[in-house]
Amino acid sequence: MSTEDSFIELIKENKGLIYKVTTLYTNTAVDRQDLYQEIVFQLWKSFETFRAKSKISTWMYRVALNTAIKHLKTLEKKKSVLQAQDRNVLIEESYDYEYETRLRSMYQHIYALNILERGIVLLLLEGKTYNEISQITGLTPTNVSSKLSRIKQKLKTNMQKQGL
Amino acid sequence: MKLEEMQEIWSEMSHQIEEQKIITNDLIMKMTKNQYHRKFDRLTFYESIGSVICFIMAFFILINFKDLNTWYLFSSGLFTVVFLIVLPILTLGSIGRLKRLDVSRSNLKEMIIKYKKYKGQLLLIQRLGIYLSFLLMFTVLPVFSKIMKGKDLFIENHSLLLIYMLVMSVFLLFFSRWGYKCYQNITKSAEDVLKELDMER
Repeated sequence: MSTEDSFIELIKENKGLIYKVTTLYTNTAVDRQDLYQEIVFQLWKSFETFRAKSKISTWMYRVALNTAIKHLKTLEKKKSVLQAQDRNVLIEESYDYEYETRLRSMYQHIYALNILERGIVLLLLEGKTYNEISQITGLTPTNVSSKLSRIKQKLKTNMQKQGL
Repeated sequence: MKLEEMQEIWSEMSHQIEEQKIITNDLIMKMTKNQYHRKFDRLTFYESIGSVICFIMAFFILINFKDLNTWYLFSSGLFTVVFLIVLPILTLGSIGRLKRLDVSRSNLKEMIIKYKKYKGQLLLIQRLGIYLSFLLMFTVLPVFSKIMKGKDLFIENHSLLLIYMLVMSVFLLFFSRWGYKCYQNITKSAEDVLKELDMER
């Protein structure tokens, strides 16, 4: 299998991973598409030099999250509230109003967090262990744990503010 | 919303994304190549075009340097040439460092720190450029006036020089205030994240 074929396989297998990172770090469909392309490009650029020193998913999360950070030309927008009109997380065939509402609410909560916290939440929701989160983010497992407590607190406060 | 509830929604979303999103081999490679070309076509084009203009102006001054026959015109010419050559090189170098930042070799924490550092350097150079523009404004007109028309504005036409300085000062004042506001907006979020990282150490 050629390098290009292996790369294509890798992207196809992990398309969801990239998509989910882009939904956390962009506000509009255009930005999302832009970031998606940028992540694929960055993965391609470092694909040949990736020597399986770490798990492939760890490398992919690292590249995807770092690319999202690098993509932050619009840093000031990052804390903005999720815009219902320009965000459809799921495509129309499987549109379920109730589920979409919960999904939007979840994104709204994640958007209230800062860049680093968003990355940690993403990794946690993806089922990563504290050690894996630590490898990807560069924080110690203890720091990951204390960050998560703070994130939980923030989510709780946010929920109380909204009167939920 | 609790994390447990988020986990449930997230896992359902992941399942749906895997089923829905169709991505073809062609599309993946097209995306990769598109991004490559966009980077090199757009970024390099805009970054370089300003530099080329500066270099042409500097070259023009250099080949006519003999016309700057007084110490103040000579100093003005020297400052203008250095400004027109050094600042674009520093800016291009700084943008280049930001572009070459290897996203595959650092973790998220290192990435945020490096990104902030390089971005800070770039913005510092831009601010420095704005401040030095006030000096450039003072030197560039007399230099070109002497080279192109043979007139020494410092002696012959004080009023023209004063009007020019007044108009340019007002323009630059607004321009630099706007630039500074942009600087504050761009760096604020990164600063917040870095402060959080510092607290963890």
